[in-house]
Amino acid sequence: MRIIAIFEKNERVRHIGHLDIQRAVQRGLRRSGLPVAYSNGFNPHILVAFASALSTGACGEREIMDVKMAEETKAEEFLRRMNDAMPPEMRLKEARAVDDRHPAMTALLKAASYEIRIHDPIQANRLIRSVDSMMAREEIPVSRKSKSGIREVDMKPLIHALRGEGQTLYAVLTLTEKESCKPSMILEGLKREAGMDPEEEVRILVTRTMLLGEGEDGGLRPLETL
Amino acid sequence: MSRQEMNDRIEAMLEKVQKAPRYTGGEMNTRIKGWEEAPLHFVFCFPDTYEVGMSHLGMKILTGLINDQDWSLSERCFMPWVDMMALMKEEGVPLFSLESRRPLRDFDVVGFTLMYEMSYSNVLAMLDMGGIPVERRDRGETDPIVVAGGGCASNPEPISDFVDAFMIGAGEEVMLEVNRVILERKKQGWTREVCLKELAKLEGVYVPSLYEAEYNGDGTLKRFSPICPEAPERVRKRFVADFDHAYFPTKVAVPYTEVVFDRITLEIMRGCTRGCRFCQAGMLYRPVRERSLETLVRQAEELVAATGYEEISLSSLSSGDYTCLPELIRELMKRMKDRRVSISLPSLRIDSVLKESLEETQQVKKSSLTFAPEAGTQRLRDVINKGVTEEDLIEKVRDAFAGGWSSMKLYFMDGLPTETTEDLDGIADLARKVVAEYFKIPKGERAKGLRVTVSCSTFVPKPHTPFQWAAQDTIPTINQKQEHLREVLKIKGVNFNWHAPHLSFLEACFSRGDRRLGRVLKRAWERGCLLDGWSDQFKFDEWMAAFADCGLDPAFYANRERSREELLPWDFLDCGITKEFLWREKEKADRAETTRDCRQGCNGCGIQRIRGLCAYADPKRAKAPSPSLVPYEAEGGEK
Repeated sequence: MRIIAIFEKNERVRHIGHLDIQRAVQRGLRRSGLPVAYSNGFNPHILVAFASALSTGACGEREIMDVKMAEETKAEEFLRRMNDAMPPEMRLKEARAVDDRHPAMTALLKAASYEIRIHDPIQANRLIRSVDSMMAREEIPVSRKSKSGIREVDMKPLIHALRGEGQTLYAVLTLTEKESCKPSMILEGLKREAGMDPEEEVRILVTRTMLLGEGEDGGLRPLETL
Repeated sequence: MSRQEMNDRIEAMLEKVQKAPRYTGGEMNTRIKGWEEAPLHFVFCFPDTYEVGMSHLGMKILTGLINDQDWSLSERCFMPWVDMMALMKEEGVPLFSLESRRPLRDFDVVGFTLMYEMSYSNVLAMLDMGGIPVERRDRGETDPIVVAGGGCASNPEPISDFVDAFMIGAGEEVMLEVNRVILERKKQGWTREVCLKELAKLEGVYVPSLYEAEYNGDGTLKRFSPICPEAPERVRKRFVADFDHAYFPTKVAVPYTEVVFDRITLEIMRGCTRGCRFCQAGMLYRPVRERSLETLVRQAEELVAATGYEEISLSSLSSGDYTCLPELIRELMKRMKDRRVSISLPSLRIDSVLKESLEETQQVKKSSLTFAPEAGTQRLRDVINKGVTEEDLIEKVRDAFAGGWSSMKLYFMDGLPTETTEDLDGIADLARKVVAEYFKIPKGERAKGLRVTVSCSTFVPKPHTPFQWAAQDTIPTINQKQEHLREVLKIKGVNFNWHAPHLSFLEACFSRGDRRLGRVLKRAWERGCLLDGWSDQFKFDEWMAAFADCGLDPAFYANRERSREELLPWDFLDCGITKEFLWREKEKADRAETTRDCRQGCNGCGIQRIRGLCAYADPKRAKAPSPSLVPYEAEGGEK
């Protein structure tokens, strides 16, 4: 069996990279004393997977870990013992027990919702005013770095929703193993739309609020509920 | 700047620096006590980067101890990297603590640990960035008390212009007493001077402002004495009397990012009975005291449960000498195997490693083995009293190769007293013999990929050792010796590592320096020297210019042989061993005579003056109950 658990990565630890977050979770699992399953081989490691890597500098409200257990474990017990074993910066919020045959979280992942807080109120005003006109375009080109160099892509099909309020942008963006739209791309598009210098520094604080998959009706649903 | 504003600026800087987690804290098992929760505010400063500092056991012990008291709290602070320093300067942000992000100047006590001489410039930089006057004489009534301890406090003089009070010896014994006095200052409104005089009354505390130094025409020390009755003529270091029950925190911080020692450190023993003459730790941390098997197994269990670490390393100066080593390893392996925790043994001594334990460590992980013969010939090993023979080494190497190891590290020193070309050639001979042992094992039976690494560091004479009078080789001499080693060590299967001697030269100046070096230190810092332990930051020429600016000759400190009569800058400290013992050892070194291991009989180093402290000084009183309550015997007890 497996446990799928929702955890938070709060502001204090937002600069911790994904590999270090993985290790912190693994050590948390070891501290918890829960009956987790280990890989075979010379250097056995805990069988834990993450639905998606969260970039360095971003906070996460509902990140997902997927832990293979060696013994039957109740979700409530998992939650309780992990919260005793994790630092307050990485609290677990919910847990759910699933069968081993349950598909991998990464395979179900379709999109994520974000809050992008723009630090400077003047910049925020300019950028947020440009949301509607940008979204009204047929195509929204942004530059994207790849192995073959920088190329222009159209990010419009990757934006499920985008609106602004106060100093914050609320976005639902495609996130799959194949393609994804990052909050930084939204920012780049809006800067272009607003006629700002692309080099102008805009301080933002990104919080990924939810990971999403596709429900039976084709609409986006919280990933952990699928 | 308000705290909110400072916090905003810090957040903005963190988005730009290379490794932000160096400055953010929040690791598992770190505590953030509310500022108002405890009346005494201590900040533990480590004068090097986060990755180095978080590997330091002493910091974990002391912050744990201070936070455990309801009347005190301890936060942490590390030396920022150059990118962060530049941003802080630009933004006008003072150096802040990790936990509550307060400037160092807001604390009552600012405590530094001095692990190596080449971190001294960082102490100055951190004080300055933290908003505290760098020199102690410039500090006023509202400034914190700056204290320091750690290994280098055994010669505090070169950095004594910048520190209000030093703690000599075991920090876990004296730290709370120091904090209590400083809390009294806060409560009673004592002046700085009153507070410092109160501190000077504590055993193991040295307050440099209460002493004066006079010099002879040739630059040597003429007189060093206290200027007030509160300050003792001699300051005696503090010992941990009951090591088995000494405070040892098991809920230690687990860093998110990788640090130098990212594992559990289990201190199995303090002190060493070997008496290697170059080894300052071996002289300073006497007597040898072992933790009991029961205590260690319990601590290991608690540490694993509290940290989730995957590896335990047994730490001490000479782990192979731990009385019940095979039993300890067997017990730990048995308990840890199911939890996938591996056990590693550092600082192996070639004459004490049991074949049995070697095989057991291999059961979980087979890493490279380290041996430290230190010198290439038997004569020179006798000079330094490294009681190890070539046969010992070869036998252990043979066992290791037969046991499936193929990677081996051999540590040596260059520039040891009396060293000749023959001794250097001996290093190559030994390396060649090690390689030969590997090939003696039939192909197919031995592990593949032979790798013998020979590392050579430059000898630095240290205070409180029999070589405290010795001259260090000059830089050109060391360069020649290293050139020679590079030639003779061109052996197939052997890798040679060495370091340019410049850092060791400066280390030699500061390890045996006097208080006049404070001027050099300040000048070097003004010239931009900091993070000297990092080769890409080390500015040797600036250091030399700083010496010149102050009219002092570094060779006077590093390359000069001292006479028996000379008053040494650290003579006022009683670290347990006596100067007479050290001189006897020096003379024996000159004659290439060895001294037996203390376990074979007492050598009268001076520790026996403290009754009941050393188990080998007087077998009748070996397990005396509370040795700390027994006063010193008269000096005459030494034989």
